[in-house]
Amino acid sequence: MNTLPQQLANGLFLGSMYGLIAIGYTMVYGIVQLINFAHGEIFMTGGFGALTVYTSLPDGTSIWVALPLMVIGGSLVAVLIAIGAERFAYRPLRGAPRLAPLITAIGLSLALQQAVFNWYPKADNALSFPQLPGGPFHVGSISIQSGDIFLVVVAVICMSGLAAFVRTSRTGRAMQATAQDPDTAQLMGIDTNRIIVIAFAIGGLFAAVAAVASGLKYGQVKYDMGFQAGLKAFTAAVLGGIGNIYGAMLGGLVLGIAESCASAYISNIPGMEQLGGGSWANVWAFVLLIVVLLVRPQGLLGERVADRA
Amino acid sequence: MTDISLTAVDTLPAAKSRTARLIPLPLGAARAVTLAGAVISAVSTFLSWTYTTAFPGDLTVTGYPGGLQVLTLAGALLTTLFALSAFGVKGLGWLNPSHSQNSVLLLALGTFVTTWYTVIAIAYELKGLANLDPGGVIAAVGTLVLVIGALGLPLDRQPALPADGEFYELGRFAENASVRRGYRALRDLRLAHSDRPVNDPRTLPGWVQRLIITLAAAIGLSLLTFAIGTEYSEIFIGLLILIAFGAWGLGASGLVRQFSQLTAEHRSFASAMGFTAALAYPFVQNDEHYANLGVNILIFGTVALGLNIVVGLTGLLDLGYVAFLGVGAYAAALVSGSQFSIWSGVQFPFWAAALTGMAASLVFGVLIGAPTLRLRGDYLAIVTLGFGEIFRLAVNSLDGVSGPKITNGPNGIAQIPDLELFGYNLGDAHDIGGFTLGRYANYYLLMLLITVIVVLVFTRSANSRIGRAWVAIREDETAATAMGINGFRVKLIAFALGASLAGLAGTVSAHVTYNVVPSPYQFAGAAPPNSAFLLAAVVLGGMGTVSGPILGASLLYLIPEKLGFLQNYELFAFGIALILLMRFRPEGLIANRRRQLEFHADDALVLPGKAGA
Amino acid sequence: MTTTTQAPAGTPLLEASGVIMRFGGLTAVRDVDLTVNTGEIVGLIGPNGAGKTTFFNCLTGLYVPTEGTVKYQGNVLPPKPHLVTKAGIARTFQNIRLFANMTVLENVLVGRHTRTKEGLLSALIRGPGYHRAEAKSRARAMELLEFTGLADKAEHLARNLPYGEQRKLEIARALASEPGLLLLDEPTAGMNPQETRATEELVFAVRDQGISVLVIEHDMRFIFNLCDRVSVLVQGEKLVEGTSEVVQRDDRVIAAYLGEPFEGAPEDEAGAEIEAAEARNISKTEDDQ
Repeated sequence: MNTLPQQLANGLFLGSMYGLIAIGYTMVYGIVQLINFAHGEIFMTGGFGALTVYTSLPDGTSIWVALPLMVIGGSLVAVLIAIGAERFAYRPLRGAPRLAPLITAIGLSLALQQAVFNWYPKADNALSFPQLPGGPFHVGSISIQSGDIFLVVVAVICMSGLAAFVRTSRTGRAMQATAQDPDTAQLMGIDTNRIIVIAFAIGGLFAAVAAVASGLKYGQVKYDMGFQAGLKAFTAAVLGGIGNIYGAMLGGLVLGIAESCASAYISNIPGMEQLGGGSWANVWAFVLLIVVLLVRPQGLLGERVADRA
Repeated sequence: MTDISLTAVDTLPAAKSRTARLIPLPLGAARAVTLAGAVISAVSTFLSWTYTTAFPGDLTVTGYPGGLQVLTLAGALLTTLFALSAFGVKGLGWLNPSHSQNSVLLLALGTFVTTWYTVIAIAYELKGLANLDPGGVIAAVGTLVLVIGALGLPLDRQPALPADGEFYELGRFAENASVRRGYRALRDLRLAHSDRPVNDPRTLPGWVQRLIITLAAAIGLSLLTFAIGTEYSEIFIGLLILIAFGAWGLGASGLVRQFSQLTAEHRSFASAMGFTAALAYPFVQNDEHYANLGVNILIFGTVALGLNIVVGLTGLLDLGYVAFLGVGAYAAALVSGSQFSIWSGVQFPFWAAALTGMAASLVFGVLIGAPTLRLRGDYLAIVTLGFGEIFRLAVNSLDGVSGPKITNGPNGIAQIPDLELFGYNLGDAHDIGGFTLGRYANYYLLMLLITVIVVLVFTRSANSRIGRAWVAIREDETAATAMGINGFRVKLIAFALGASLAGLAGTVSAHVTYNVVPSPYQFAGAAPPNSAFLLAAVVLGGMGTVSGPILGASLLYLIPEKLGFLQNYELFAFGIALILLMRFRPEGLIANRRRQLEFHADDALVLPGKAGA
Repeated sequence: MTTTTQAPAGTPLLEASGVIMRFGGLTAVRDVDLTVNTGEIVGLIGPNGAGKTTFFNCLTGLYVPTEGTVKYQGNVLPPKPHLVTKAGIARTFQNIRLFANMTVLENVLVGRHTRTKEGLLSALIRGPGYHRAEAKSRARAMELLEFTGLADKAEHLARNLPYGEQRKLEIARALASEPGLLLLDEPTAGMNPQETRATEELVFAVRDQGISVLVIEHDMRFIFNLCDRVSVLVQGEKLVEGTSEVVQRDDRVIAAYLGEPFEGAPEDEAGAEIEAAEARNISKTEDDQ
């Protein structure tokens, strides 16, 4: 079914996933101006962590019991790696020229990906991931998979939770302050190191949730799933306005919908018959990024980056 | 210096390194033990170390050294020579101009590690210590004695207060006091010999200086040929270990510094010698496989040099650089006359194909750079990463089925005909003056020409107004624009130049590999070329230098090639290497401007940076 | 020992009128007028956070003023920093921003970038024109290094220079672009009295070369020795402008910034008496208790 409502729905689901991952990128960049290239791999390890939990549960465990455990397990792995990366790879380089932490991030991303590839049993190919029963559900002409429902539910929970946390809690306000002006925040008595760790941790948590959702949706996890997802998610973060968590979500949705519609509809444009379809979806996503950078580089909702000039 | 100092910055006094021994031995005893160890090790290489030839290289013969034993022997001999020189034996003083004992320790360590590696490898591969002959045991003991003796020598160690101005010091950011103490203890163990003065070799007669440079080139060529020609991985590893410690030891002895001064003095002669050595390489190789290795090293080294302009000089993080190589390769393939090309009727001569490749890459470079270089630098990384991916995907899909037929999809453009220059067909073997030049040797020579051009482009642009503008942008873009540099324009020039050079190299690579397929052009993959590999080569070799990226590319290409079992772990090792490099030695192997730091070590102070007023 | 040459107040060189700079809800600079004439040294003082550096950034194209205009030699300033330098305004920075890994000479050569035009092609071909231009640039750079007393350190890395010389290098680098107006942002921060005097001499020498100077500083003796006119910026507004004497004595300036009458001001004797009387009073009350 290639109807517009279906495409929009598909885009919504895809976009929610991008948005969850994008939040990790945008929070970290907003505070320390670092593109955490390893974030895509953190997403991937969250998925593998969840899978490990599942495979270590006794056979016959209901998916409804397993699922929360998988989310917890995956989150633990992702958050630990994220915090470890901050502590041991990025923090020692805080004063260094900007190229150094970027290259470190790339190295970390490579190392994580290859570590899973080499040492996780049978990870050289995709590993199958459990599925939720039921579905597809039909709402009007739109068909919705059970995995999609999970995705939307958790995305809403996470986003609203984060929004509330940032706005009302003391730590949340401290995060806003650190994002705007880290030096002054420190002078005001805010422990910026702790704030940075929290930002990494939240990013890791959301990425892990997104990974479980991805596994449910696509039925598999693969060692290189982080690379593409990471790239798309960072695009989403830039689209929405880097540093802006609402922007990350919005950017994710926009990107998801654009990608869905492009795959479905571009081939209908005369002259571009061969440029639609799945293999070109990524190309169009990239073109969208370039266009946004040209036309509105601060993103849809505006940047929120610490002024370090 | 001012007497009353109200400056806000700590001014650290320049400190001299301390001399102390790590093992308390009387001096005479230490020297004797060192020499004894060296002799024992050398003698042991004439014995057999194992009784079976299952271990590669023939280590079963008594009477002459074979395989890895040669390495141990070389190490022991070198250590003896340097030890004698350091102990003050007349006539050998020139070997150790810095008069530091550190070189002895380092060479001793090199011999030790190589030998113990061999011994352990024998035991491990043949599954049992019993397979080790007494000769091997004697070697192990001998080298151990050697190291113990060397540790008893008065070594130059890290000064109490480091005056070095590296931009971050080990453990400085550690929050735990005991961790900091631990780092301090580690740092105190460090050898330090760079502040020892050495005689200026420029006082030697001119012909002697040139002779030294020539000899160095010849030695370099032999080592490289030997390294490329190693047939089994164990000896390659052993050679690497020995070369690493050897280089370190030579540095400690001050010879490296003197050599740098010589090459700085006779810059063009040194370059000519280097070129001659490279030129001689295919003539001293009689195996096509090694010539193939040589070509590939040249190609990747050249591409790395192009990336060096973008990343090393200007500080722009380009993560999709390999796509420009691919664009050049595909452009050349399309006009090469291959029947798989959509323009199979067209066959450009080489110079036209090269220009086409360069032009195509240039166009893409400008297309990517123009929107992105105006924005914050981090965006360039993501955009180039995306472009690298998109290039591969697009080229994969332009096969007439999922997209218009341009690049023949996953099968690529195959059967690219060999180039013919002035009647000399590069695909055929030719006999020149008694030497046979095979196909790869021919392409090697062509690529060497391209490499020379690229090196020229690099050095000429780096030492000019535009080069200074690039470095200024890298150092501090705000200050650079305040000095009147148009940041966007200068960055775009660097980016576009880098892209065109990659395109040029791509043209040759298309012909060397007979065909062009999409699969190698990715961010990270098992075999080069890929962007991660190129970035690692530039970073490892030394950003901003000429020989750095070439050295980095050679190492990173040879190691997985020779140590085949590592191929799966290669990328993992790259990742770890990048992390460790950035943490501990961000300037890479060949550091830029280090010579100047050495010359002015007495003025070394710390730039205030952001602490400011 | 200070050299003062009476330079005639010349034609207006820099005219900033009604400059307002807003960042979102924060107004950093409110309606500031400032004029610098040829041959003048003008000072800009005020407490930290008063908007002085922000104002500087408006004068150099780093920020585009929200309202108001800045004119240099009668033309409105172009909105990009490198074009402003090309037009003839050069600056130094509050936190030293040298090119740390380049040599002293190379730093100054970079400063010459905007007055030379040899591009990539010229560098690759290296024709006679290129060599001539390079030689000329080097000669001029060495001149500037001698002018600032750094000639013997030409081949040292910038990061290895002592603090005071780094400041001098920044000035040499700024002068390399042949400016008509030099903006100095806290040039003597962190310097001892000797170095401060040397910087004073240097600035006078710069003025004698025909270059006007606008300087932000906190060292009052430096400012009052050096400047023909002083402007006081408090919370983004210009409070007072005038000669050193006028500004020193202004009550509002004293209240907002100087705190006490500056030594050398006429009230000083009275002030000393009052202090002595208070001291006696305190010791009396202490004795009582």
